[in-house]
Amino acid sequence: MKKLLATALASAFVAFAPPVHAQTPPNVLVVGQIAEPKSLDPHAVTAVNDFRILLNLYDGLVRYKDGTLEVEPSLAESWTISGDGKTYTFKLREGVKFHDGSDFNAAAVKFNFDRMLKEDHPYHDTGPFPLAFFFSTVEEVIAEDPMTVTFKLSAPYAPFLSNLAYPTGLIVSPEAVRQHGADFGRNPSGTGAYKFAEWDANAKMVAVKNEAYWDGAPDLEAVIYRPITDANTRIAEMLSGGLDVMVEVPPDSLQQFKQDENFSVLEQAGPHVWFLILNTREAPFDSKAARQAANYAINKTALVDNILQGTAEVAAGPTPPAFAWAYNETLEPYPYDPEKAKALLAEAGYVGEEITFFVTEGGSGMLDPVAMGTAIQADLEAVGMNVKIETYEWNTFLGKVNPGLEGQAAMAEMAWMTNDPDTLPFLALRTEAMPENGGFNSGYYSNPKVDELLEKARQVTDQSERAALYKEMQEIVQDDAPWVFVANWKQNAVTKASVEDFKLQPSFFLMLQDVKKPM
Amino acid sequence: MAETTLSAPAKPAPNSNRPGTAALLLNNTLATSGLAVLLAICLIALAAPILPLPDPDVTAPANRLLPVFSEGHLLGTDHLGRDLLSRLIWGTRVSLAVGLSATAIAAFFGSLLGLVAGYAGGRTDAVIMRGIDMVMAFPYILLALAIVAVLGPGLLNALYAIALVNIPFFARNIRGITLGLSRREFVDAARLSGKSPVQILFLEILPNVLPVIVITMSTTIGWMILETAGLSFLGLGAQPPQADLGSMLGEGRKILFTAPHVSIIPGLMIFALVMSINLFGDGVRDILDPRLRAGSLTRPVSRTAVERDCTSVPQPSSEDGVLDVRGMRTEFQIGSSVYKAVGGVDLHLKQGECLGIVGESGSGKSVTAMSIMGLVPTPPGRISGGAAYLEGEDLFAASNRRIKDLRGGTVAYVFQDPLSTLHPLFTVGDQLKEAISTHQPLSGKALTDKAVELLTLVRIPNAKERLSAYPHELSGGMRQRVCIAMALANDAKVLIADEPTTALDVTVQSQVLTLMNGLRREKNTAVLFITHDFGVVSALCDRVAVMYAGKIVETGTTEDVLSNPRHPYTAKLIDCVPVLGQPERRVDAIEGRPPVVNNLPDGCAFAARCPRARAACRRGEIELEMTTGDSGVRCLFPLGKGEDA
Amino acid sequence: MAGYIAKRLLAAIPVLFGLTIIVFLIMAMIPGDPATAILGSYATPENVAKLNKDLGLDKTLVEQYLIWIGNLFEGDLGRSYTLNRPVLDEVLERFSATLILAGTALVLCSILGLIAGIISAVRQYGWADKAITLLVLIGISTPSFWLGLLLILVFAVNLKLFPVSGMYAIYGGGDLPDLLHHLALPAFTLSVVATGVIARLTRTAMLEVLRQDYIRTARAKGLSERKVIYKHAFKSALVSIIPVIGIQAGFVIGGAVYIETVFQWPGIGSMLVKAISTRDLLLVQGGVLVVAAAYVLFNLLADVVQTLLDPRLR
Repeated sequence: MKKLLATALASAFVAFAPPVHAQTPPNVLVVGQIAEPKSLDPHAVTAVNDFRILLNLYDGLVRYKDGTLEVEPSLAESWTISGDGKTYTFKLREGVKFHDGSDFNAAAVKFNFDRMLKEDHPYHDTGPFPLAFFFSTVEEVIAEDPMTVTFKLSAPYAPFLSNLAYPTGLIVSPEAVRQHGADFGRNPSGTGAYKFAEWDANAKMVAVKNEAYWDGAPDLEAVIYRPITDANTRIAEMLSGGLDVMVEVPPDSLQQFKQDENFSVLEQAGPHVWFLILNTREAPFDSKAARQAANYAINKTALVDNILQGTAEVAAGPTPPAFAWAYNETLEPYPYDPEKAKALLAEAGYVGEEITFFVTEGGSGMLDPVAMGTAIQADLEAVGMNVKIETYEWNTFLGKVNPGLEGQAAMAEMAWMTNDPDTLPFLALRTEAMPENGGFNSGYYSNPKVDELLEKARQVTDQSERAALYKEMQEIVQDDAPWVFVANWKQNAVTKASVEDFKLQPSFFLMLQDVKKPM
Repeated sequence: MAETTLSAPAKPAPNSNRPGTAALLLNNTLATSGLAVLLAICLIALAAPILPLPDPDVTAPANRLLPVFSEGHLLGTDHLGRDLLSRLIWGTRVSLAVGLSATAIAAFFGSLLGLVAGYAGGRTDAVIMRGIDMVMAFPYILLALAIVAVLGPGLLNALYAIALVNIPFFARNIRGITLGLSRREFVDAARLSGKSPVQILFLEILPNVLPVIVITMSTTIGWMILETAGLSFLGLGAQPPQADLGSMLGEGRKILFTAPHVSIIPGLMIFALVMSINLFGDGVRDILDPRLRAGSLTRPVSRTAVERDCTSVPQPSSEDGVLDVRGMRTEFQIGSSVYKAVGGVDLHLKQGECLGIVGESGSGKSVTAMSIMGLVPTPPGRISGGAAYLEGEDLFAASNRRIKDLRGGTVAYVFQDPLSTLHPLFTVGDQLKEAISTHQPLSGKALTDKAVELLTLVRIPNAKERLSAYPHELSGGMRQRVCIAMALANDAKVLIADEPTTALDVTVQSQVLTLMNGLRREKNTAVLFITHDFGVVSALCDRVAVMYAGKIVETGTTEDVLSNPRHPYTAKLIDCVPVLGQPERRVDAIEGRPPVVNNLPDGCAFAARCPRARAACRRGEIELEMTTGDSGVRCLFPLGKGEDA
Repeated sequence: MAGYIAKRLLAAIPVLFGLTIIVFLIMAMIPGDPATAILGSYATPENVAKLNKDLGLDKTLVEQYLIWIGNLFEGDLGRSYTLNRPVLDEVLERFSATLILAGTALVLCSILGLIAGIISAVRQYGWADKAITLLVLIGISTPSFWLGLLLILVFAVNLKLFPVSGMYAIYGGGDLPDLLHHLALPAFTLSVVATGVIARLTRTAMLEVLRQDYIRTARAKGLSERKVIYKHAFKSALVSIIPVIGIQAGFVIGGAVYIETVFQWPGIGSMLVKAISTRDLLLVQGGVLVVAAAYVLFNLLADVVQTLLDPRLR
């Protein structure tokens, strides 16, 4: 019997024993993704995680200039905007081909936008296209000649160019859509630096070098995207050499990687803001004093330094500093001042009634929401606020917060990552953006002056004029304190030390065109 | 997870004959240590409010992730700078409460469903059990997940989810037992006496089911705590800042690589808690489970232990014979009491002779038969003295290998109940062939032929076809014929038959007896025939030995003993034999019961039941007085010729 | 036998049917909808309504269910909203991964559990029995997800003996040794609890069988102790252990959720967890149906094996 057992164990060991390690060769980059991509059709997806892949497979008419949030030419070589801000004409780049061999031209551009926007388009049913509303002001797309395309807007819309640089504006091959229909998302074809090679569901997505890339073929032979949903497992893979690059590293592990010379750590501030929505319709936060008190009571420096381990900076107002041209440099964050908070609470007539605080367990851009919520609760408790936490899984959480907090909670966590300074305040701070009107103003903030400034900023196409309007808006909003402004996240990534020329972008996109991995 | 079972049964207390429940538990070291740890954990958890602990929810981000043994934080701090020791103790409190309440809820509803389904039967049963099937077919974690998704997260909702998911185990277990109980006589009686179904269910059946519910609960609590921890681990349990062990583990897991202690500490606590519950639960089950309590779940080894004083091994008697048993003593150690089942027995068996051993049940006759080839189960049995010589070879001194070779070869057995003595999962052919091939180098066709020959020998019709029959497909008589065939397979010199006909009905009995008698004469086999029936003895045996309380009280030729019994017990036994046409004789059974052999009275063991007993009978050892060569009696005042007891 | 199997399969149909209805109801009760899940921060009521229409979710629950059932009979489980691919493809891929993991774990726990149980019974109260009893208790008392984490920490990250996660090496690999290498840690972790349960049960079953009269008969026939234990006693014990292994199959598949999460095994458990959180009704429906059917089949298989072993049940 013992002999039998020993034999069994020995054979089991042989069976499971490590085979000779199949090391990833040079010039093949393995990227740790946080989830399986939903689709590789850029018009069908909404997650940053998918965007990280798509920006390397496709190009848009315009793109963000390296290291900024400003647009520069890409598939369009140049463009003109009409005086009324309602007509955009693009001159397209010549000689560009999609990966499937078909030509990139004005007809292809028209096909892309018509597919998304026109319900009677023959390929509209290859959707749905959840973010098509980015282009809801587009009335018509006209292919003037093979290399010229014109967009007619129904109203002036300043963020239009910025939206074109967003993944929803990436151009797909009409041929491939015609060929694969609804399965285009699994058989993608674009003009990008890398070509789609294979997608082994739940294991990896492989893209290989596009030798004919118009902007110069990349150095890497291939990029392998591995979906690893669990942050811990992702870290373990990184530590054990199974990944070359990983993004969204939890703060504590980031410290560990920083101290290890086998890895390089990168950080990049982006257009992100983490805040608490305060319910301005109900007590206690119907009083401005109470809202300011909450801003004073929370030790934001401690939050970003200790819980987030320096992976974020304290936010001063509603607009993240990453929108450099629109950011009001003169704003100072609310200081941590519990005494002042107590005084303001007394002024507001708050005497310790229990209030509810919606906390989410995770979610895009939410950082470490439970720990942060817990710490915030403790800070508020310290100034005499009686806060009860309710946590919800992300989708349930959105289902509760987006319809408005009235009757449910006094405060809720929220975070946004946007591509234009217009997006967040326009969707979440205007009177007309109340939840009942289909907006995201879940705390019911209303200030006619802010409404006016935001409306105007959309109409003007001149950037400095827009900037002035946004800066004024930020001052008013900070003082009204409809939110507790908490943090602006710095995106981070860890790479093996052998990976070269890897950069993070303020757009949070992962551009791999210039990355090298010679060893 | 209710399929958990036993570990070591409790060792009995040294100073009492029937160890009490508490004593049993305390004597199980593992269970006791489990209980001790569990109690310690519970006490600390209960005392949490009065212990000098920091507030478990106060954050101090500057002091985050302090290591174990930091000043002021014995177990360090977590990612928000909260004291881990404090959170651990408060968290244990929560986890324990949740585990216990979830178990209680699941046990209550599960048992209720099981009772109703099992008792009502029919359509109600079918509907309930289909529902239970549905819940079981749903992956349990996902069911819990879905329930929490519907109800919203929170410890209480997680508790409901866990409880619901575990209802099927109670329902299935309890239903099975209720089903069995509801067909029992006492339930019928209750029904006839006009009790309502509810009364029957709760007053008659429930008390009988209760131990099973407790056993299932004891094996489920640990599992429940693990499950709750699992849900909290997935973020669906306790809401922050409240600590419970699972959510602590889930939070700590995020920093496993930077601060492993934050997740290892709650993990160890869950482990210690569940382990102590399981150890204790095992102990509880061992006590409540009647089989374990009787010590009947100990494994018998292949051969009875021999613990005799080697210096006083009796010599074989001078007469020649095949089997010669001298002063054999066999005891059973149950708890601290020693049952002297066989108290010094001498037997002598010549070639071709048939010796009957007669006695009531409990007289030690079967143990005598089993002891010879070491078939008395050890534990609890052991041979404590004497010797058994097979053709001069001391069997109690022989090697295990030698005994194995002799069993089924030179000495073969036929047992009482042919249904339970044949293996139910092998065909009779396989079992017969196995008996042959163990002792003879036969295989293939020769082996089959031999098996067919043996079956034909014991007069089984269609012998060849019967080879592929399973025991349950044969009648009782046929089965016993198969057993006899197995015993005869290797031309045994000694055949030991332990009440081979008792389980058969009367007509079959006489057929089997005739067969055995014919075969033993044909093969000149010596037979040791154990029975309680003088009628059988008279038909078969040359000589007879009467046993009472582990000793032979009378021996002699069958004719002598039957016609002229000298021991009052023998006389009474003979009176018990039914005679055709005199049905009232059976009523004249022997009054009283045989003495318990762990506490034998001084003097004659039969004195208490003997109408002729005098004072002298209750004093000292009474010897077996041999009158002629073969006959003897162990009685101070034996019956005279024709005298009635 | 065939008739019996057919009867059992027929009896399973209403159970599975009921299950699909329950899934629909539960999913309807969960707050939040797939459109919100897809749109995330952009889930305005207007966008949600439009997307719901595009996804065909503006129909009533009953209509949706009838459409689903109708498609089911054509072998179509619908299309996942969140994965943008046919549910059947995803479910089969994921399920085969789970089957490999759970199947290996089940084989592992059956072999280890049976061996440990037999040794424990044969050496009752000996040191081997005590050691096994203790190990078994440790096994069933350890949270499996925690054990998995510790194993990753020790064997994958520090010793680099095994890969951290996934089913195949990301580059090269893809063959059987590669798969086994990836299977080792998760399959072992998953099998620990079930091994304990089976070992304990085997021990009791063996002890009970060893006291049976027919074991005494076997000994009286002069069989070697090896034959008595491994042939006569073990076969009987197996009859009562087989159904438990069948039930363990359900537990192992259920417990795989944690292990799949920790080891990033692309199995159906982690798919279902995600599908529930993204409100992907059809994916949940398809996944649950397959898992439940597997559970039913496993138990049927256990019953069939039991019947083959025990002629009295035929």
